[in-house]
Amino acid sequence: MNAIPAELLRIIIGLVAIAVSVGLIGLVMVWVERKVAGHIQRRPGPYEVGPNGLIQPLCDALKLVGKQLFMPKGADPILFWLAPVLAFLPVLLLFLPLPVGDGLQTLDVNLGLLLILAFSGLAVLSVLLAGWASNNKYGLLGAARGVAQAVAYEIPLLLSVLAVSFVAGSLDLAHVVKLQGTWPWNWNIMTQPLAFLIYIVSALGETNRAPFDLPEAESELTAGFHTEYSGMGFGLFFLAEYANMVVVCSVATALFLGGWHGPVLPGPVWFVLKVSALMLLMVFVRWTYPRVRFDQLLVINWKWLLPLAVANLLLTAFFVKLAQFA
Amino acid sequence: MENMAKIVFGFYTLIILGGSLVAVGAKSLVRAMVGLIATLLGVAGMYMLLNAQFMALMQILIYVGAVCVLIFFAIMLTRADAGGEEAASAPLRQNLLALTAVLSVGGILGWLVLTRPLATTGVPVEVSIEKLGLGLLGPYGLAFELISVVLLVSMAGAVLLAWERRNGK
Repeated sequence: MNAIPAELLRIIIGLVAIAVSVGLIGLVMVWVERKVAGHIQRRPGPYEVGPNGLIQPLCDALKLVGKQLFMPKGADPILFWLAPVLAFLPVLLLFLPLPVGDGLQTLDVNLGLLLILAFSGLAVLSVLLAGWASNNKYGLLGAARGVAQAVAYEIPLLLSVLAVSFVAGSLDLAHVVKLQGTWPWNWNIMTQPLAFLIYIVSALGETNRAPFDLPEAESELTAGFHTEYSGMGFGLFFLAEYANMVVVCSVATALFLGGWHGPVLPGPVWFVLKVSALMLLMVFVRWTYPRVRFDQLLVINWKWLLPLAVANLLLTAFFVKLAQFA
Repeated sequence: MENMAKIVFGFYTLIILGGSLVAVGAKSLVRAMVGLIATLLGVAGMYMLLNAQFMALMQILIYVGAVCVLIFFAIMLTRADAGGEEAASAPLRQNLLALTAVLSVGGILGWLVLTRPLATTGVPVEVSIEKLGLGLLGPYGLAFELISVVLLVSMAGAVLLAWERRNGK
């Protein structure tokens, strides 16, 4: 019998690790989100179940798994159940090219950044299908907002990422990280501060996080595109949202914050620390800023982010060319 | 390895054919679009098989992530319930015309594949993005420009169709 190829083994181990960590991150993030929300609103948040309410998300997850799955009357059965699966499956793929440490990535491809950008587009489709197939007007309104928002915010996101890959001359995340140094002033955020800002804002838009959570705005649309989902149907959307947050923050860490580079501590620890800090920032933003109106959302994108991102990209291209001549 | 490639090729072909059948035959527009997405993903897989990873990812990024989302937007702006005018079966003349179109393109391509010798049977080599970009702006400039003409024609066609419909009312 032939030995199992090392590459295949690596991918299988990586996928198992990814699946486990997505589940764990989901649990931890629910707790963090509720605790932060609580303290910002001057209440303790969950504290009854376990020390400081640590077991609370586990109980919630078990409750979610045990719930009955409903489908509204007149909904399209195939599309209705396809949507949550389509939301969750690509997420596992997005984790593959993330460089957690030096050489510590599941899939070593030279187009890793492009892979992430390409497959994150499928998340929008799941929002659309969910909203459409639910046969519910809140769902449909949420989906309509989802399209307009996703189509708009994807452009500045791509442009800001492109600026960094222009400088690095590569679409390989590990390569971009290798070009950065140990200390904060060696990171790409020093040369591309504007791109970082644009990236973070449009990442909030792409992941449907507050203040840009219009597709699921609970005060206007009940729950938006996932109004009609119960049990794990909703659970998958929920997990996918947190997993998408992790991917977005990891890409930001690799591109702008030096990835696994850092003094004293080993690389993967630094990577996780930086990603956690960014996640915490996203949670803080959610609970401190009010939701924008839909026209404001589009104005921010089309009148501010897009021209700034284009200008930034042109300037970057100019300086890269200048550096080549010099 | 070669057998693996053949199995994967068959798999992608099934996805492409199945997806396109759904895209053409589904009663509801949204289901037809899901079929179209399956087809596009299958084509992306074919690119992957040709070791053209950049093309495959671009296919997904542009066609699935952007074009299909925009098509969805258009569907949402219209009243596209399953019992709409598209759901009725097409008249015979239209079916015949469609068959002619399929046979003419399929016939020419099939004839070419069957009569010409294989250009290469080697394992495809990955072309770097740099080479791709230089090629598009250099030796393959004409083809590159012709593609943009195709896009222009399709855009003009869409406008023309919408225009006629509006004047007819």
